[in-house]
Amino acid sequence: MFKKQSLEKLNIPFETSKQASIAAQVLKPDPQLRPEEFKVDYSSQGSDLVVNFQSVDDRVLRVGVSNVIDSIKTIIETIDELQDF
Amino acid sequence: MVNLNKIPPKNGRKYYVALGLEGSANKLGVGVIKHPFLENHESGDLSHDCGVEILSNIRDTYITPPGEGFLPRDTARHHRNWCVRIIKKALIEAQIKDPGLDIDVICFTKGPGMGAPLHSVVIAARTCSLLWEVPLVGVNHCVGHIEMGREITKAENPVVLYVSGGNTQVIAYSENRYRIFGETLDIAIGNCLDRFARTLRIPNNPSPGYNIEQLAKKSTHKDSLVLLPYTVKGMDLSMSGILAYVDILAKDLFRGNKKNKVLFDQKTGEQKVTVEDLCYSLQENLFAMLVEITERAMAHVNSNVVLIVGGVGCNVRLQEMMGTMCRDRADGKVHATDDRFCIDNGVMIAQAGLLQYRMGDIVTDLNETVVQQKFRTDEVYVSWRE
Repeated sequence: MFKKQSLEKLNIPFETSKQASIAAQVLKPDPQLRPEEFKVDYSSQGSDLVVNFQSVDDRVLRVGVSNVIDSIKTIIETIDELQDF
Repeated sequence: MVNLNKIPPKNGRKYYVALGLEGSANKLGVGVIKHPFLENHESGDLSHDCGVEILSNIRDTYITPPGEGFLPRDTARHHRNWCVRIIKKALIEAQIKDPGLDIDVICFTKGPGMGAPLHSVVIAARTCSLLWEVPLVGVNHCVGHIEMGREITKAENPVVLYVSGGNTQVIAYSENRYRIFGETLDIAIGNCLDRFARTLRIPNNPSPGYNIEQLAKKSTHKDSLVLLPYTVKGMDLSMSGILAYVDILAKDLFRGNKKNKVLFDQKTGEQKVTVEDLCYSLQENLFAMLVEITERAMAHVNSNVVLIVGGVGCNVRLQEMMGTMCRDRADGKVHATDDRFCIDNGVMIAQAGLLQYRMGDIVTDLNETVVQQKFRTDEVYVSWRE
């Protein structure tokens, strides 16, 4: 927990719970570059990917959220194009 | 004896199929390869002779405008934009019908390289692995180059000169490691050439080094080299000083700084050196340094075969100079490959990854797939060699 903090929660719906769980598993391993400034937690609830962000300020939060969304875009494109190849 | 058949091919097939994903720098490469399942691989030292068949080898390069290098953020965006399309193209060309059944292993570059581009590719690799339920293998980029070079040229135990935009190393195999005999102390040779190309503002297409090579061919003063620092430090090299110096020369040339004695005749004010001459001299100087440390490594390990890998390895002049050195040694031989395999590609990652897989080395926990920007060649335990 940070002293001053900015919070954000994203709910990203997938087609199935398996897809949501894959997305969470893919995102989890990568460590944050500045764990003292930015924390992120991934989980899947049903067919939703739930991402919780915690950060020291809005600027760091914005950059962090944007990076995570970039990765999620790749995951969704991969699932869309390559699941039933 | 090494048993390369520890893990049998999937579904009772008589061959292995591997998908390789590479994106450690500005090239995004995807390749699919096939290894036949051969009885004689059960015992022996045959990792250089797998009978590889290349089913597809697709590459897309992020090319920046003249005078600009590629930045990690932009390169990562390029890889994210193209990754899935290139994977799809490679699978179609390889005639893979059902990746979950047809592919034994997915290989990706774990490092070394730029963090952001590596990361954008590993995200796709993990997703494919979970989607298709195919195991993953993380590959060291340098080892990928070495294994591809060995397989293509069938060089059993060469001294390897690995020269690219990010690495400059002289490597020889000993006791399950690719040991680094000499390397750069500062910037890589390809980086030196790329940055000089930026100073000259010549195109980065197809690659800066290729364009320098073409300019160098046009030099009209090949008999009198421009004197540049020659910085071999024992078995190592230093190139940043050479770059700084040759950059100053190029800038003086463009500005027409007549006070520069190297470039202009002090009495007549006549220009003595052209851009082409600078390119030629820079190449000769850098390559001579490489040849020197390679020859010394050959003497150390008592070998007479050199394998040149990495992007700069495509340079015909470098191959020529290395050839001259090898001929002067008893029965020496140079092995090099062409741009399909020299320049970063997915096939080489698949080749090294498949060897690792056949020895039973796979990722068991996705936490092992975190990319490493710094990942030295000698950190890898080479289980597939005697």
